[in-house]
Amino acid sequence: MKLIFTIALRNLFRHKGKSLVIGIILFLGAFIMTIGNGIITGLNSGLQENIVNKFTGDIVLISEKQESNAVIISMMGKPIEMINNYTLIKKLLQGLPYIDKYIPLAQGTAMLLNEDGEPDFNFLLGVNFEEYQKMFGNLKVIEGRLPKVGERGLLLTDMNRKTNYEYLLNAWVIPPNTKVVTSNFSQEAKLSFEQHKLKIIDSMIFMGMNEKNSALDIKPSIIGVIKFKALNSFFGYLNLIDIESFRECFGYVTAQDSASSLDKDKSKLLAMESENLDDLFSDKQLFVQEKVNQNDYSLNNLQTKLEKKVTTNINLDNGTYNQVYIKLKPGTKLDNAVKKLNISLKKNNLGVKAITWKQALGEMADMATVIKVALFVFVMFIFFVAIIIIMNTLSMAALERIPEIGMMRAIGARKSFVALMFFYETLFMSLVFGGAGIVVGAIVIKILSLMNITTTNEMIQLVFGGDKFHPFLTVMDFVLCAIQLLIVTVIATIYPILVASRIKPLDAINRD
Amino acid sequence: MNIIELNNVTKNYPLGNTTVHALRGIDLNISKGDLVSIIGPSGSGKTTLLNIIGCIDTPTSGSVKIEQQDISTLSDKKTTDLRLFKIGFIFQTFNLIPVLNVLENVEFPLLLMKKHSKDEIRNKSIKLLSEVGLQDHINHKPAELSGGQRQRVAIARALITEPSIILADEPTANLDSKTGEQILNIMKEINSKEHTTFIFSTHDHDVLKYAKRIIKIKDGVIDGEENQ
Repeated sequence: MKLIFTIALRNLFRHKGKSLVIGIILFLGAFIMTIGNGIITGLNSGLQENIVNKFTGDIVLISEKQESNAVIISMMGKPIEMINNYTLIKKLLQGLPYIDKYIPLAQGTAMLLNEDGEPDFNFLLGVNFEEYQKMFGNLKVIEGRLPKVGERGLLLTDMNRKTNYEYLLNAWVIPPNTKVVTSNFSQEAKLSFEQHKLKIIDSMIFMGMNEKNSALDIKPSIIGVIKFKALNSFFGYLNLIDIESFRECFGYVTAQDSASSLDKDKSKLLAMESENLDDLFSDKQLFVQEKVNQNDYSLNNLQTKLEKKVTTNINLDNGTYNQVYIKLKPGTKLDNAVKKLNISLKKNNLGVKAITWKQALGEMADMATVIKVALFVFVMFIFFVAIIIIMNTLSMAALERIPEIGMMRAIGARKSFVALMFFYETLFMSLVFGGAGIVVGAIVIKILSLMNITTTNEMIQLVFGGDKFHPFLTVMDFVLCAIQLLIVTVIATIYPILVASRIKPLDAINRD
Repeated sequence: MNIIELNNVTKNYPLGNTTVHALRGIDLNISKGDLVSIIGPSGSGKTTLLNIIGCIDTPTSGSVKIEQQDISTLSDKKTTDLRLFKIGFIFQTFNLIPVLNVLENVEFPLLLMKKHSKDEIRNKSIKLLSEVGLQDHINHKPAELSGGQRQRVAIARALITEPSIILADEPTANLDSKTGEQILNIMKEINSKEHTTFIFSTHDHDVLKYAKRIIKIKDGVIDGEENQ
């Protein structure tokens, strides 16, 4: 073994030129591979940090009736199916050891009307602000403020404000009793402002859209204008609204309704989501005759209702939601958790299903996967090129060394000896040059990470896994790089080894 | 007792559209301890005959037996081992491993055998190198030696395994006459001391005086034989 290693090592120094060529290829291959792995890890971690931790959690619960899983970024189409039994779901979630945090919310498409009654669409995310911030902490207020505990109203996103200004309202929305912040203007708004033509408004009317057309117009109080701390250009279309206003807007059962008008039987029926037809047709009374005053639906009355700044002490959980976002405890495997959770949900007949955040994100997660795969394919391509070049150079080296190898075979060296000699030569170069490539790659990854590179480009954000470019390498990445390098070494030496092993003693004599 | 037996050995090489008949039916027996010289003009088949005896090449037809063992039935591994354990080679062009120094080149076959301890190998190699007069050059690389010195290293390497047969293909061809004489004297001395069978090819008639037996070869057939 030592003999083979000695000969292999000295051969490398003897053929310095060729060794250097192969070494440089190995160095570059390992370097690019390390950078690629660093970017892929950064992308994964970025997506995890920015999407899972800041927007969706690991698991999303949706109604079993929900046809499409892509509920988070579903631009148009059917409204998301309702979840009316959150209190029961909550009870289940509280008892599951692998679940860390969860938050119920409701998402829907609302029509925004301008003063001429023309509509455009805005997405609303109905949440309990306080719980939402505790769970995700991803809001950055650029005008106004965050809501107080229990306060009702709307957090308008900067992105929606600009879009609404440009395509519908032709007016710049600011929170009431706040000053115009000129630095937040869009180009068009800035131009109008300079020409003293900019119209400033401090309210908007939304009309929720649901399948039964039972939604209401609401005019929520605009508490603040926000940006999301990460991936704002992807999630900036989601205005945040307090859950009760959302329910009113979309005709959902509000917590207030539940508290005031639902008796025990109706709550039970709602919890069943009308799945159990036997119960529906039981002799129990389903509807309670209530006198409805026409004034309840007047705009003035609604506005008065919404001007109420603080909700009464009601349990928001009793109303309707359409999604529950769940964060898992660190170290929990996502797929296992989804599987276990679905079994528990089914067993308890809760009418909801658990899906992964990637399924809930739909196309966006697919795009991220495509980018990840593209990066991986690129790294593999580099590998392939490196393998071909190394293979070719080593095969040429084997042919040039026919007299030496043939003579070794003549005096008793077996084919395995020659094969091992070639393998050690490449292995040694892999260790030295490839190792150097990995080390330099790791240093470059560190430098790139420290450079704090940011982007607003949506595609690049997907590569970065967020607004910031934060590539990094884990111990597993180093192990992966070493394995990849070993694979390159083994594959690249197979053919040259075959060439060298086929050299016969007679070839050496004939060459002479 | 015959250590080498060749029976009707032929060797044909394809050369373009024609076939070169390098050996045309050789029958030859060589006894243990012989010092045989194969003589003949260039292209007569000397090297081909040595290659076949040395298991470096295979005959087109006929049989070759080394120590009663038919080499045509052996696998590549066994043929390699036969060369390692039974045969020593001294090539025309002093084939040494360029990256190993003199001592390591001599040690090389013994290291391949994996039968001896490190110290044994080292001591034996140094002793042999002293016998061929290279004790002061053990750390030199082949490129730092003269032709004669390199050929002496090759002799030491061929002897280190104590083989039954040593084949030398024109061992003095690239040497000056004085060095050539030294090399042949070493071979003769080892032959008489160790009873190692030596077979060397040459076309130099001055070399023949060292041989006990001279086999003349011409156009691939044995053209005559002399015992001295």
